[in-house]
Amino acid sequence: MKPPSFKYHAPRSVEEAAGLLAEHGYDAKLLAGGQSLIPTMNFRLAQPAVLIDLNRIPELAYIHPAGDGGVRIGAMSRHVQVEKSDLIAQAAPLIHETMPLIAHPQIRNRGTFGGSIAHADPASELPAALLTLGGRVQARGAKGARWIEADEFFLGLFTTALQPDELLAEVRFPALPARAGFAAREVARRHGDYALVGVMALVGLDAGGACNLARLTYFSVGDGPTPAPQAAAALIGQRPTSEALAAAAELAASADIPEPVADIHATAAFRRHLIKALGKQALQQAFIRAGGAA
Amino acid sequence: MQITININGIDKTITCQPHESLMRVLRREGYFSVRYGSETGETGAGAILLDGRLVASDVLLAAQAAGHRIETVEGLSEGVKLHPIQEAFMRTGAIQSGYATPAMVLAAKALLAMNPNPTEAEVRDAISGILDRETGYAKPVQAVFEAAAILRGEEPTRIEPKVMTPITLPLGGDEGWGESDWGGRSDPTPEFPGGGGGDVLTLRKALPKFVVAPEAQQLQVVGKSEIKVDALKLAKGNPAFVDDFEMRGMLHAKLLTSPHAHARILDIDDSAARALPGVHAVIHYKNIERVRYASGGQSYPNPKPWDQVSFDNKVRHVGDRVAAVAAETPEIAAEAIKRIAVTYEVLPAVFDENEAITGHAPVIHDEPDMADAYDAQRNISHFIHAAVGDVETGFAQADRIFEHTYRVHQVQQVPIEPHICIGYWDADERLVLRSSTQVPFHARRMVAPLLGLPVKRIRVIKPRIGGGFGAKQEMLIEDIVGHLVIASGKPVKLELNREEEFISSRTRHPQTITYKTGVNRDGRLVAMKMRVIGNTGAYATHGLTVQTVTGMRGLSTYNCPNKEFECWVAYTNIPVPGAYRGYGAPQALFALESHMEEIAAALGRDAVEFKRQNWVKVGDPLDIAPQLGEGEAEVGAAPTVLTSGLSECIAQGMQAIDWQRRYDPDWIAPPDRLHIRRGIGMAVCMHGSAIPGLDMGAASIKINDDGSFNLLVGATDLGTGSDTVLSQIAAEVLGVPLEDIVIYSSDTDFTPFDTGAYASSTTYISGTAVKKAAEELRQQIKQRAGLMLGLSDWADVVLRDRQAQAPDGRAVTLAAIALHSLHQDHQRQLMATASYVSPDSPPPFAGQFAEIEMDIQTGQVTVKKLAMAVDCGVAINPITASGQVEGGMTQALGYAHCEEMVYDESGRMLNAQIGPYKIYRADEMPELDVTLVQTLEPTGPFGAKAVAEIPKDGVAPAIASAIYNASGLRLRQIPFTPERVWRALHEMR
Repeated sequence: MKPPSFKYHAPRSVEEAAGLLAEHGYDAKLLAGGQSLIPTMNFRLAQPAVLIDLNRIPELAYIHPAGDGGVRIGAMSRHVQVEKSDLIAQAAPLIHETMPLIAHPQIRNRGTFGGSIAHADPASELPAALLTLGGRVQARGAKGARWIEADEFFLGLFTTALQPDELLAEVRFPALPARAGFAAREVARRHGDYALVGVMALVGLDAGGACNLARLTYFSVGDGPTPAPQAAAALIGQRPTSEALAAAAELAASADIPEPVADIHATAAFRRHLIKALGKQALQQAFIRAGGAA
Repeated sequence: MQITININGIDKTITCQPHESLMRVLRREGYFSVRYGSETGETGAGAILLDGRLVASDVLLAAQAAGHRIETVEGLSEGVKLHPIQEAFMRTGAIQSGYATPAMVLAAKALLAMNPNPTEAEVRDAISGILDRETGYAKPVQAVFEAAAILRGEEPTRIEPKVMTPITLPLGGDEGWGESDWGGRSDPTPEFPGGGGGDVLTLRKALPKFVVAPEAQQLQVVGKSEIKVDALKLAKGNPAFVDDFEMRGMLHAKLLTSPHAHARILDIDDSAARALPGVHAVIHYKNIERVRYASGGQSYPNPKPWDQVSFDNKVRHVGDRVAAVAAETPEIAAEAIKRIAVTYEVLPAVFDENEAITGHAPVIHDEPDMADAYDAQRNISHFIHAAVGDVETGFAQADRIFEHTYRVHQVQQVPIEPHICIGYWDADERLVLRSSTQVPFHARRMVAPLLGLPVKRIRVIKPRIGGGFGAKQEMLIEDIVGHLVIASGKPVKLELNREEEFISSRTRHPQTITYKTGVNRDGRLVAMKMRVIGNTGAYATHGLTVQTVTGMRGLSTYNCPNKEFECWVAYTNIPVPGAYRGYGAPQALFALESHMEEIAAALGRDAVEFKRQNWVKVGDPLDIAPQLGEGEAEVGAAPTVLTSGLSECIAQGMQAIDWQRRYDPDWIAPPDRLHIRRGIGMAVCMHGSAIPGLDMGAASIKINDDGSFNLLVGATDLGTGSDTVLSQIAAEVLGVPLEDIVIYSSDTDFTPFDTGAYASSTTYISGTAVKKAAEELRQQIKQRAGLMLGLSDWADVVLRDRQAQAPDGRAVTLAAIALHSLHQDHQRQLMATASYVSPDSPPPFAGQFAEIEMDIQTGQVTVKKLAMAVDCGVAINPITASGQVEGGMTQALGYAHCEEMVYDESGRMLNAQIGPYKIYRADEMPELDVTLVQTLEPTGPFGAKAVAEIPKDGVAPAIASAIYNASGLRLRQIPFTPERVWRALHEMR
């Protein structure tokens, strides 16, 4: 099967791309790395009339430090560039540790950071990382640019707050606070495979050893990256004892995500169990890294 | 649009459409090394380098490559000089079918350009996007290391076969290798020095007794790890596969398959499809003659019932054939398919084999011309029964009786090259089918009546094929291509897409297996009854014979005076199970080995010792075999085990896996990792070598002017290396190096008959045919040498080093003999033909071992190591033999651990793509450890037995055994997914 024909544009600047988007809007699809879009076109599940290829816009591929000690990633940065970036390793270590988990070289060489965020695949790691780290994205269109916070960006299954005439231009991560720790855990059929359930945790400790920051985000459990705000809130002010972590993870499963998805890989009951088990394991590791052994 | 791409250093201006993938354009431009695997880029067979980085050309638009630099394998070699990576892949045995070898070579090139001295993890990551169903990745990883060393200017560390000291005592071993078996044959020099390759190859320093062929001590070619004869063209990515063949005006075929699991087709209206410009043929039940057949690629007469026709007015599974079109482009064909209007009457469906045969299920084969099923009204295609002694008497005598039920699921072979066939009328108006098949001769005979053509007007050619594993032991799509060629008058190509390969080709039979076994107080088995419900899906293609093998294998490993096999083969509405490497044995052995361990545990016995007490030994009869043979052939008396290295296999395997750890509580439950448990498990395996009395192979061999030989064989090399092994056998007999044998195989016009590549038969059966033909030719050559040298007696002439050497020291070269016989005196073509069919099927034996780690919180099982020690007789080529073991174990690992065809309630497969189906990648693999324990099988060529299938048999029960060791959990169902393990742990607590 081959994709049906369409009009192909390869703009050279964001401005040109934004102009094409303004002109074609709903009829157009943006082509970033193409690792998800082209297969769906090959299956004729997506049949855009106009394809706007962002791969020839050099101004969208960069990794720069942000003023606040964080990092700015141009949307068309390839996964492999993020993976190998020293700046990312230093300023966004959770991203640095996540990149090698993403598929294999063909996908990492071609797939883009912004594409993965904008695709909002509920099974993928990067949207969950964006939420966990409290990042934001810059959307650009003919009318200008605007910033969207991570927790307002993901709206549902493969759906984001981007408007049809906007493209995702940049992803920005803030610096980690002092005495912060993070961790990611996932379970797959085989070690290395797509997660049945995955979780990312970011925690912080105050001078007295009590938790002053907690974010917990699951993936592969719902329509998109799924935060567990009640579990996180329950940790604030607590010392990270084993009981406190278990209680938080329990809350994630009972209150935050009581009805995880069921699919061919796992039932809802099993996912509920994994939300608990992995949540606790991830929190434990994150607190150890923050310097407050659980 | 017009684009310019720099391909292998040359700027090319190419005209293409915006929607065309780079793969399609590259192939059109003649870069055939870039190969189709799926629509998603997930197999990696289409990977190329873009500006030096590995990318999937099948999910990249050609337009996107404009202005960029592309590299394919065609650009790597300069004339005859190969790139060091290509050479390393050839030398290490990293190439089996070679379908995805170009992609792996490019992945290695990209890695080594950036990282000249990579770690193993880095190498595995670099090739992790290229799926390999054949090698288990062990040899490709080794190839990359060798190439890296060479590119750094170092001498590579080649892993040489390691000679292991036999562990079991040669005297008094329980295999029956008693004093007399070993007498006088403890030659200290290894007979089979081997080449580079397998991680560990055990070469026995002494051979068991039995008659040793005189030449066994002076083997020149057999037993050597020769480079595969087809490795060069595969390393270079030369056009060698079905799809690499172009013809002017070739049409593209496309199938319309059923969206329903069970439905009657009330009408088909194809007028809109026919009206589409560029459509040349539309075929379906209304315009194709109804001829009944069974599609399994088996000997004449194919087992009944013949429950298929090319196109029926009923569909019996999602993915079943409805219609096919041939059109000028793939796009037109796809559009035509959409325009075929089909009116279905949807019927209730049944998927479970146990429900299907109750008598209350929908009747799947209710067509009026259905005949020869055991009970079509109850969806039973066959009932199979076999018995030795009387189990009821045995149970009455037994001290303890145990009964357990096991369930094995459905998986697919997933050859990276899907089924593909090109058909055309040749200049003589004969139909040529160039097909990716394991059974070219069966396919020709079986397709003829469907097409209304005599066999003599059909020629089937098997070129290189990208894996088969049994899926291609079928006449699967050749009839459709033939019908479309006849209907259109034009060449036609049909290639299944990845989803069709899953649901419209063949799979492994699911089964429900119940063992009931009676045991004596002293641990001996006294009665064993095996009851199987086999699920043959919509058609019974291999339904009889797979289930027969299940009974044969399930009741042969252990001695027991009273045995009974009862089996119902059920029609259901799942996509059709057929042949898959192992052929009923992996199912049987998961149940058998698990059942034996459960009995041992209940008796408080060590499982290995309990099995050892009961397993068959040299001299024991395989008593149920005569009743569970295949086909019409009468096998006669029960065959006897003549060679077995089983005890040595178990000992070697225990050493390889460090078996004693399984008794250490601190190792099982590491104190510093509270939710982790570790375990080690094992399974005993026994397989067969070919179907006795039925499988037949033939070979012709003739001498050329320069003293080289053409070897013509019907045998079918799937990438297994059989062309190489057969050539080695011929070279050995004729006293020439391997390069002097020019082999041509699997072409029904030019090669003698062979049943095909299945049932672990090629080395044993076709190899013996080659040996016989070569021996006959050797006699002719010796006689000619006698004539030329004026010898009165030529019997003692010896062929060696491309010469015929007389006892008096004089010699003539084979070239001189060829010229003399072809041109000079008493001219004749020195040539010989021989065939072979065996009354025996000597069993290879093995011990398979697994080490696992399990997370008792999440249920995730991680397999850390698989070890296999196998007695395959003499390995003709140790490197290809160990490659078979590594690849087979890896497929078996997928079967045990993660691969699974999953359906919704309407019978639609939910994961019919590479990603969600879950095939092990290079970076997810456990360590693999292979030991070849060689015995000298007297009935096999140079002592060989089979090796291709036995690695499939023991992985699932070995992992089950390891899980039991780790946690006390006994799982009676595969695969061992996290959820299944977690639920079972939950229930156990």
